[in-house]
Amino acid sequence: MQTIYTLFLLTSLLSLLLYKKPLLAQKLGFGFACVISLYATIFFFSHLGETMIWKLPGNFISSPLFRLDSIGMFFSFLVSLIAFAVSLFSFDYAKFYEKRANLAVFASLFNAFILSMLLVIASDNVFSFMLLWEMMTLISALLILINDGEGAGKKVMIYLGIAQIGAFSLMVALLIMASFAGSFEFSKFADLNIGFGMSMTLFVLLLVGLGSKAGMFPFHVWLPIAYCQSPSNASALMSGVMIKVALFAFIKFSLLLPQFAQFGYILLLMGALSCIFGIIYALASNDYKASIAYSSCENVGIIFLGLGGAFYGLGIHSPIIALMGFIAAFFHILNHAVFKSLLFMLSGNIFTATKTRNMDALGGLHKKMPITSIIFFVAAISICALPPLNGFASEWVIYKTMVIGGIDEGVASRFFFTLAIIALSITGAMAIMAFSKMYGSVFLGIARNTQCVEEAKEVSFLRLLPLGLLASLCVGIGIFMSDVVGMLSKIVLTLIPQTSQSVFGLISMPIIIMIMLLCAILPFVFLYLLKANHKEVRVTEPWACGFLYNKNMQIGSNSFTGDIRKALSFIVRYEQEIKMDGYFSKAVYTQKVHDLFWDKLYAPVIHSVMVIAEKIGIFQNGRTNLYAGYILIYLCFVLIFGYYYL
Amino acid sequence: MDFLYLLLQLISAILVAPLFDGISRKLRAKFQSRVGPSIFQTYRDLLKLLKRGRTKSHSTSYIYQIAPYVLFVSAAAMFCALPIAYDTHSGAISQFSDIFVLLYLGALFRFMFIVAGIDTANPFAGVSASREGTLGFYTEEIAVICLVVVMMGTGSTNLAYITTLVQEGNYGYAFPSFSIAATAFLWVMYVETGRKPYDLAEAEQELQEGVLGEYCGKDLAIIDVAILLKQFTMLGFFLVIFIPWSFENPILSLIAFLAEVGFLYVMGVFIDNFGPRFTVNNGIKRTMLFALSISCASLVLYIMGI
Repeated sequence: MQTIYTLFLLTSLLSLLLYKKPLLAQKLGFGFACVISLYATIFFFSHLGETMIWKLPGNFISSPLFRLDSIGMFFSFLVSLIAFAVSLFSFDYAKFYEKRANLAVFASLFNAFILSMLLVIASDNVFSFMLLWEMMTLISALLILINDGEGAGKKVMIYLGIAQIGAFSLMVALLIMASFAGSFEFSKFADLNIGFGMSMTLFVLLLVGLGSKAGMFPFHVWLPIAYCQSPSNASALMSGVMIKVALFAFIKFSLLLPQFAQFGYILLLMGALSCIFGIIYALASNDYKASIAYSSCENVGIIFLGLGGAFYGLGIHSPIIALMGFIAAFFHILNHAVFKSLLFMLSGNIFTATKTRNMDALGGLHKKMPITSIIFFVAAISICALPPLNGFASEWVIYKTMVIGGIDEGVASRFFFTLAIIALSITGAMAIMAFSKMYGSVFLGIARNTQCVEEAKEVSFLRLLPLGLLASLCVGIGIFMSDVVGMLSKIVLTLIPQTSQSVFGLISMPIIIMIMLLCAILPFVFLYLLKANHKEVRVTEPWACGFLYNKNMQIGSNSFTGDIRKALSFIVRYEQEIKMDGYFSKAVYTQKVHDLFWDKLYAPVIHSVMVIAEKIGIFQNGRTNLYAGYILIYLCFVLIFGYYYL
Repeated sequence: MDFLYLLLQLISAILVAPLFDGISRKLRAKFQSRVGPSIFQTYRDLLKLLKRGRTKSHSTSYIYQIAPYVLFVSAAAMFCALPIAYDTHSGAISQFSDIFVLLYLGALFRFMFIVAGIDTANPFAGVSASREGTLGFYTEEIAVICLVVVMMGTGSTNLAYITTLVQEGNYGYAFPSFSIAATAFLWVMYVETGRKPYDLAEAEQELQEGVLGEYCGKDLAIIDVAILLKQFTMLGFFLVIFIPWSFENPILSLIAFLAEVGFLYVMGVFIDNFGPRFTVNNGIKRTMLFALSISCASLVLYIMGI
């Protein structure tokens, strides 16, 4: 594994050194990244379930230890798998940013980002973990800045701000844990002797610290801001794997604490809130990239539901619930990494072809980009958890965990698990609306703004290949669900002390597919037997009740969700503006959705910080004699203090 | 053998469903003091559609072509998930009969319905696609609340297993939460069948049929059968959980089931015919809130352990 890390580092440095020849650097940088991550994928996959230890050679301040256990191996596999697809995609995609940024720097940052994620997973002591964690944040912030433009700085500051809140709580939690363990090595953290109150505090700190990075509610505000600003390959990596690294760290650290059932309840509650609020904003948004970004919050919520079941199972010493919960969470982590990075790359394809992110301007793109459209359709079905693809497989395991968890006699566990199931089903119903709206208004119908869509062209084969690979992975994981669950259960069993349980009562995906195929034959049989009319279809204008058809008659993405937004108006706030000059000119109607939590939670805090900063600013007015006065006052104060108290 | 029964279950439902539709149309006509069509009218409609040529809007893509088949597949697979002609002993097939498989196949149906509506670029199709999604959002949550009570009460998501438990009296109306859930669930399943005051699958451009505004010929015939099957499945979903009648002989239980579903389907006309029409939000506020509160009451009872 050292080879992989070294190769990524070398590629990163090499592409940085070639900054005078950006095109060459881009080819080399992304090309090498692709090859190395393919090798890494195979390497980590073949070593799943093993433990590897590696010590950083040389004379550094400390000599940090790196260790990959079976969980770390799985997450490293995930990172390199997605990195492989994304770097293959970037090979061609990065050219789009040729005029905005130096591609050599882009390629270098890209490699460094993958490296930092792999190292975060492997690091085994507090110091190196925090250092690499902050490096990962900084490199991703720089990747966002590749797409420099108006307001980019402010957006990056929001991302960094929330990351800092997280890093602070994480640091505090890790230091407290280290002081209990008497060591900075994670491997010595086991069996900490911590009381209920303290471990609860630590758990909440970890949840804030790592949940904020994972995009959990109410820290989800950075998701749409950062993902919309960054290039699509960077957002694919960030959403596909960076938030999984945060989840990995969360699982790793919180398992070191003594377990209580209350941990499970907290996770179930936060998961339920995340998935509902995430999907509501995904539904309301008219920017397809923002919508995909909000859906990350939803999916992290779903993963937290699975983890909630697992922690509850550990808390009440029920290995079967814990096993199912961990399998559910890991399965959804895998699936989400696949289809979310796929969706972000597809959004990159749409953006490079049409130069707009507004769904209301698009439409009818299928005719221009048929393969992108079909892959998008597969991804949408998979993220909506429709059978027989992978999203359904993992959500089914989560549902099953919730049902097993809720059978218990206790009122609290019944309450939280039923809440989780209901939240998940509401999310499912809204995800269908959100993604059918997105697919429909981008690819189907007639172009609303002909200018954008007219010149759109299908992207090159090199960009479609990784998308096709990920899409077939979506299908494959769905079909071979039982094998994937078997593989995951082997990994997960190491997390649960003293058990040899196995999973039972799974649905069998091949049977579902077989029955669906059987049903698919029936209509053809009937059509044949009843001698249906198979004549060529005549093409006409869409029917408009006798009026002359106009493309503006189609349903827009605003009106599509109009009814549901009216019902949810207490959460989704939007500004609408109607501009009309003169009777005969066209009215312009714009609508902007507001994130309630940004308005109510973050904006006041930021505002008050600004006000306080301004007030403090009075002291610093540039007059030297006043500064001397401050020193004088301070000295007097120290003298008085020293005289009376020391 | 089980597989043949499954096929028999599906095909017999496809053959019988139009008859009950015809009966309900006749009954509705009688209520409105009309003579009404013959009870075999739905068969004739379908046959006529099969013989007609087709047109399509120039905006349509592959979605328009595959939608009828996908809709049919999801509706038919949903119907197959009902354990009527098979039970827990049927091995692999009984694994298919799972509550979440059924619900998410229904979701696939809705997804395809919405996407197909938007694909035609027809203004009415778009509006009714939006309506379909909104309605689905409300019904699904109430249905799931009721089903949570049943699933957690029995500890399983397998429909065949639940049916057996209820039939043998190990679980059932002795639990108040179960019997209250039954009420709300029947309500929601009625809504899912797409009738007034929630929808009217006949003649209304902006309502459910609006999505199909551009469909014609054999495509429309397939979709019509799919919608009929879905309505049957929804009523059957209620029956297999809350009133499971079944016999040793699978064919006998299939006949009993079809008669039951047909009865419920025709009885729906009594609500349908006297129901007013609402806009979506208004209708939901007036009627669905009541169903929601019933289902929540049943959930609270379950959580309290009654």
